[in-house]
Parts: sequence; structure tokens; C-alpha cells
Amino acid sequence: MKKLLVVLTAVLLLSGTMSLGAGGQAPEEEKIILREASQVPGLIFPPVWDGQTLSLNASIYDFLVELEHGTGALVPSLAKEWSTPDGKVWTLKLREGVKFHDGSDFTSEDVRYTLELTQDPDVGHLKKADFEVVERIETPDDYTVVLYLAEVSPTFIYQLTDYHMCMLSSEYDYASKGEMEPMGTGPFVLKQMVPKESALLVKNEDYWNPGLPKVDELRIYFVPDIDASVSMLEAGKVDVCPFINAIHKRNLEDKGFKIVSPYQDYRFIAMAADRDPFDDNRVRLAMKYCMDPEMLAAACQAELGKDVYYNEGPIQSIMAQYYDIPFRGRDIDKAKSLLAEAGYPDGLTVELYYGSDHPYGQELAQTLKELSAPAGFDLDLKGYTRDVYLAQYWMNGPMLLTGWGPRVDPSMLLKLAYRSDGPWNESHMNDPQIDALIDKITMEVDDVQRQRYYDELQIAFHERGTVINFQVPFFVAMRQEVMDYRQPPTFMNQYEYAYLEE
Amino acid sequence: MSFLRKVLQRLGFMIITLVAMSLLIFFLVEIMPGDVAQMVLGQSVTPEALKALRESMGLNDPFYLRYLRWFAGLLRGDLGESLYMRGVAINLILWRKVFHSVILALTAVLFYVPLSIFFGVLAGVRSGKLTDSVISFFGLATMALPEFVSGVLLITLFSVVLKALPITSVIPIGETIWGNLDILVLPAFSVTIVMFGYVSRMQRSSMIQVMSSDYIRAAELKGLPRAYVIFRHALKNALLPTITIIGMNMGWLFGGLIVVETLFGYPGLGSLTMTAIKTRDVPLIEACVLFITFIFVISTFITDLLYGLLNPRIRFAGAEK
Repeated sequence: MKKLLVVLTAVLLLSGTMSLGAGGQAPEEEKIILREASQVPGLIFPPVWDGQTLSLNASIYDFLVELEHGTGALVPSLAKEWSTPDGKVWTLKLREGVKFHDGSDFTSEDVRYTLELTQDPDVGHLKKADFEVVERIETPDDYTVVLYLAEVSPTFIYQLTDYHMCMLSSEYDYASKGEMEPMGTGPFVLKQMVPKESALLVKNEDYWNPGLPKVDELRIYFVPDIDASVSMLEAGKVDVCPFINAIHKRNLEDKGFKIVSPYQDYRFIAMAADRDPFDDNRVRLAMKYCMDPEMLAAACQAELGKDVYYNEGPIQSIMAQYYDIPFRGRDIDKAKSLLAEAGYPDGLTVELYYGSDHPYGQELAQTLKELSAPAGFDLDLKGYTRDVYLAQYWMNGPMLLTGWGPRVDPSMLLKLAYRSDGPWNESHMNDPQIDALIDKITMEVDDVQRQRYYDELQIAFHERGTVINFQVPFFVAMRQEVMDYRQPPTFMNQYEYAYLEE
Repeated sequence: MSFLRKVLQRLGFMIITLVAMSLLIFFLVEIMPGDVAQMVLGQSVTPEALKALRESMGLNDPFYLRYLRWFAGLLRGDLGESLYMRGVAINLILWRKVFHSVILALTAVLFYVPLSIFFGVLAGVRSGKLTDSVISFFGLATMALPEFVSGVLLITLFSVVLKALPITSVIPIGETIWGNLDILVLPAFSVTIVMFGYVSRMQRSSMIQVMSSDYIRAAELKGLPRAYVIFRHALKNALLPTITIIGMNMGWLFGGLIVVETLFGYPGLGSLTMTAIKTRDVPLIEACVLFITFIFVISTFITDLLYGLLNPRIRFAGAEK
């Protein structure tokens, strides 16, 4: 009996301690602190970074050039100006007086080191292919870099905005410190990293851009579950929560949270052009005639033309290079007749592979099955977790549903995914006219002429392309007090501008 | 001497269990679909990058070689490095989470053990009466309630409606758990709801059995006060099966609270295990599961010892053999 009483007393004491714990904390210093719930990061060393926990590297590192939030225009960052006479030789003038977090100066040698790292076989740099075009790098002085390319590339500068191309210090030991003690010239300095749990970043007092960052601390919580992240936002434990889906968006809007959609992702429905049945363009057209963008939007709980967009080419509808071709309309009779012409009067079964845990994957796959069934398509849904999908099925299936991030310069995507020799040509497109158009787009210096090629390319895709493009939004939820949240289509948060309104 | 031999024998079995478990985990992760290198590098991976990463992770080596390398490290106390966070020692990740899980487990034990025993005893001594029916019904209902349901109900009641307790159990950056003990209450209550049914029902049936035994009847006939008979004579014997249940669940409490920890965002071993599995982080999965297994076997072992200490018949029976 006595023992029981002792235990019960202990419980009561503990409860008392807990209430003290709840109310007895020391007040936070007068610091302006921005808190974010983000994904659990994997590798964060920029050359091999998968882009998880965007805010971490975006705050620690800088780029030579950046994109402006909202407009997508190129703006100077560590390179204050750049020029090219012919698209083949690029001269970059670097900002002077920039310091790394360890106090060392940022110079042209650091740029050379960062760019040469792309070709280091031991690193396995994810931008290796894109920078193979750089033949030679010259550094005539500490603040000038000259890049000599093997071929004309008028839009090469956009490659420097890629999230793998953070500027690294040539003197820092990233091999041993790159994961736990990342170091750059960015607006925030990493103060503490608790693996799989959190990161504490403090204002870089020597930041080259005066007046930035506007907050004193950035606290990033690594949360493995998006629902837990949303709960943290609702509970006031964090100020910003990215990666929410359309259902979260609706709930959070009702509760008075601010939702922004800084950019759109692709969901490409790829039809393999080199195998049965989509090697016949009539079957591809039949699938396109089955589409109903309104239904697809409803499946994503989103509004067509506002949150989500549909087209049948590789260019996002909101991009300047987009050529507006009216929707062909859902026409099941036409689809049936095309299938009959192609030798499938009784319909056909097609395997559709997709990442079932990827946002909108399951919803879109199920809707595609329902939309195409009346015409005679029997889509055999093959959903796998995204890593399994990417490792084992992506690039190999007759029909694929894959998430792609936007590219600031669409030609980067065209070369990767639609040129016959593209490394990620998932639909196995092999069309000499498309190849030629992609080459012309890549090499053309004149903007007006380049746009003509873009128009021509999109018409060709509409007629015989291998892709249906459904664009879905990337949503970020935040408290109303968070102001000036910026995130251009490079995905990189620009938390240096953000602040909290009283 | 025989008792000591039995103890040593059990310790030997424990080691064999741990080694077998480590092999099994390695094998299971090996045959799981997916690839950690692919997962780490994502969609934009190139064959060169994949090759370089696999090489640096040692993933190209045969299965047995990787296991032996890991096992040799384990014997030196080195749990290796996380594959998903290259360069980060698992020792750096694991023990902090273990510590948090221990705190949560102890809090849950403090919550549910006295509560369940008390109501179990009450139901047992008032067997067949209204009190017994109410407690038994409540016990059955909580047993049927999964922890994610009870957790959500608790969050809705205490956090959303009453706004008395935090909705999530995240430790604010730069602070420790000691300044945030309130984050333990809801997860511990969720566990209490799950465990209450099992423990109180076990206590109830054991109490009924003991209360109907001859020595209790003799004690009552001697005119001893009823409370004295219950707590002094009956409870000690009636606790034995309850202790077994509590002991058997210690492993689950220390590392298996995956649902509860994930639901509340609590940074413990359970949520770490889930992250490790999702990211195919083999050394981290090994470390987490092995630790949980260790807690399971050690708690079962201690339960058996306690059982022997509390019940001399078992101890002496073992010795006689």
C-alpha cells in the first residue's frame, strides 16, 4: 500500500513539474526568429544534393546569379555582371568584399573550384553533363572569371542558377565537413545541427547584401511527416510549412493561414514512342482525346487555370516560351476510331508506372484510368514508392507518370528529356525534327527567332508528341505575420528577405 | 548454483537472439525493393553519380562482407555512419533519440502502471458489481482503440478545445526536454489508454483468482481488515502476471512507439526507426532495431528474474531441478 502511495505521489509530482515546465520557461531573448518545418534532409553537400530541405542550403550558400522571385528574371548575386559576345565565351565579374563564413575571401579561384568539381569523377556531381560544355576556365584576376564553352549556348548563364551550383570555398574541407558543417557565403551561418532533428542558423553579420537578412535566427525542424509539420504550424511552433498538398491548403486557408504557390511542378504522362502500343501516334492521340483537364484538376482538389494547368507539350503554360494551343477536347468516339485504325478495335491493356507516394501520383493515375477506360484503354496501375519507381521502372515502362521540377530555361529540360540522346528521355522520343528544333533553340542567339522555334516545337508536340503535361502547384503555408516570402523557380528559398510583422 | 547457471544460459540466448536479429535485419533490408543511393540522389541522379555514391558507401561489396564490417564495428562500439546522411555517425543520432524515448517510456509507465493496477484491483475485489462492469467496459474499449485514434482524440480535446497542452511534442531548437516536460503528457496518455485495458484486465482476473484462494479466506476469517487483506496479502501474489505483462511491453515502450511519436512529432527512437526504414538507411535501421530488440530481451529477462524473486515457488522449483 505504501509503495502504491509513493508511486501515485510521484505521478502527482511529475504532473506538477510538467505544469512548471509548461509555464516556467525563460522568455526568449528579443530576437526575431523565423521557424520552418521541413523534410528530413539526406545528403546536403550541394554537388550531390537531392534538393531536400531547400531552406538549409539556400540560406548557407549563395549563387553567382539568381532568379528574381515573381518575375523569374536573372539578377546578380555573387557575380555582379556577366557578358558574352557570342554565347561561347562568358565573362563574369565577381562582387568584391564577399566573405565566406570562415572569414576567407570569395574570389575567382572559388568559382573555378566549384565549376571544376562538376567534372570530378569521385564526387559524382549531379550537374556533370550540363557543365561538360565548359572547355576552359580562366581567372585573369581575383574578381574575373572567363568561361570558354565548346559550343554556342546563349542561355548557359541559367545553368549557374541550378541548386547544385552553390559557390563553395576552394580552401574548405567539404569532404569531411560538407554534411555536418556546411559553409558558404550565404545570409545565414549554421550554428547547430542535430542530425535528423533540426538546424539552427544565425544571421551572417558580414553578409555582402546590406540590410539582409532581416531576421536574427532561422530555425529549421526536420519533420518526417507532412501532417506533423502542418500540426506544428497550426500549433504556432513554426511559421512556415512547405510541401503541403491541396487538402492541407484548403484546411489551413479556413484557419486563416497564408498560402503561396511560388512555382509549379510538372507531372509528365509519358508514352514510350519506341514500343507497343504508343509507337503508333494514333494510340497517343487516342489517349490525348480521352483527357478531361477539369476531371484531373478535381482529382487534385485544385482549380484548373488557377492552381493546375494542362497542355500537351513540354513547356509550362505560365512560361514566356509557352505557345497557347487550345485544348483539343475530350472526344471518346474519336479516340475509339483512332484505336480501331491502329489495330485495337477491342481496346488494349497498358501498364502505367508511377510513384504512389509522390504528391498527386495516386490521384492522377486513378483518374487517368477512369478517363481512358470508355475509349477501350485498360490501364494497369503499377504504383511503387518513389525510390523504387525511379530505380526500377522509370525510363522503362510503356506509360509513365513522373514528377519533374520546373527549369528556368525550358531548353535545359528539352535537352534532358526530349532530345533522342537525352539522359532522361523517359518517353524515348526519337524524332529528327524535334531534335533539330531543340538544337536550334539551344544555339539561337536571337530571342525572337528562338521563340519561333519554341512555337514550332510545341505544335509538333501537340500533333505527335509523347507527353501529356499536367502542372501542379508547389504550396507553402505560413502564418499571416510572415512577410516577403520569396522562392523563385530555382526552388531556393530566399529567407534573407523574409520578416515577421508585429 | 543452478539458478546462476540458468541466468548465464539466458544471457547466452540473449546474445544469440541479438546476433540472429542483426542478420535478419540485414537480410530483410537487402531483399527490400529500392536503393538507398537512388533515394539519396533523387531523380536527377546520373549513372556516374550513382556509381560514385555506391562505391563510397561500400554498397558494391557482397552482402556478407558488409555485414561482417558492420559487425566488427559493433564489437568496437562503433555503429557506423548513416547512409542517408553521409559522414554523420550513428552514435551521434541514436543516443539522443534513445534518451528521449526513455523519458517518454518512464513517463508512460508512471502514468499507466499505478492507474491500471489500481482499477484492476478495484474491479477484481468488486467482481460482478457495477464498478467492475464499468472498469471492464472501459478497459475493453481502450484495448480496441488504436493509438493514432486515441492520440487524435486527446489532441482534439486537450490541445484544440481546451488549449491546455501542446498539439505537438517537438522540442524547440536550442532547448532541452527538461524545459518542455509538458510535451510528454499527451503521448504518455495515448500509451496509457492503449495499455490500460491489458494491464487492468490482467490485474482484475489475477485478483479474482487470488481473492478466492484459501489463504485469503483464512485471513478474512481471522478477522483482519479487508483493506489489509487486499493490499498486504492478495496484491503481492496478484501482481505476478501483471508484472509479466508490464515487463513484456517495455521493449515496445522504449522503441516501438512509432505511431505515437510520429503523430506527436516526438523526437524519439520510434520516429527515428520509421525515418530510417523509409530511407533504407541500413546501418541506422540495424542500430535502432537492435537496440529495441535488446530492450525486449533484457526486459523479458528482468521480468523472469523478478518473477522468481517475487514467487519463491518458481525459484526453489528451479533450484531443485
